Amino acid sequence: MAASPRIAPPAVAGGDAVQSSPLAHQPELLHAFLRLYGTLWSHGVVDHPTKEIARIRNARITDCGY
Amino acid sequence: MTWLTATAPGATEFDRVFGLRPALYDDFQNFLSLFWSLRPIDPVILELCRRRVAQLLGGGAVPPIGQGSTGVSEAPPEKIAALEQWREAVAFSEGERACLAFVEKFVLQPHGVTDEDAAAVREHLSDKEMVAFTEALAVFDGFTRFRIILGIEGDD
Repeated sequence: MAASPRIAPPAVAGGDAVQSSPLAHQPELLHAFLRLYGTLWSHGVVDHPTKEIARIRNARITDCGY
Repeated sequence: MTWLTATAPGATEFDRVFGLRPALYDDFQNFLSLFWSLRPIDPVILELCRRRVAQLLGGGAVPPIGQGSTGVSEAPPEKIAALEQWREAVAFSEGERACLAFVEKFVLQPHGVTDEDAAAVREHLSDKEMVAFTEALAVFDGFTRFRIILGIEGDD
């Protein structure tokens, strides 16, 4: 894994950790992704703790340090 | 055929399975279609990588939702036919070859992606394109696995 992001965020980035990340280089894609991700978290039949365990476990298995 | 006992209405098996969560599927379709309608990267590279991810994982490819409505043609047939042997094939440009090499590590060995691998792609893609390219790979990789795990066979 790279020690630091390989692409710097755009200069005008703002907001939270995601919105001020390199993903902000593609604002339309980011907006659509956040809508999808928001639906994933706020709707559905799987309870919130199970989703959170899956999120964290996925990051650990893939050794994601970000 | 999927092993799920319930499915939603839909034209394809992917529709019938993902349609079990209609709000999520609507958002997914809206997100995925932007890769073709906005053209954030070369649609030929996008199409080659969509198909190559599926080859590497041994599953059906993520449907190219929105591709047909944009009038953007798919990759040339000779490139699709040569895709599994892209290293030996002469049909691919240097940029396409750098992207296809990146795809293989992304899917099979993501921690093996080196700064040199990334730099080879960035000789051909801007920062904006690199972000879109990597996002597209994440969608193709994740939802090809979604197909495999849920038994959604074939290509739609």
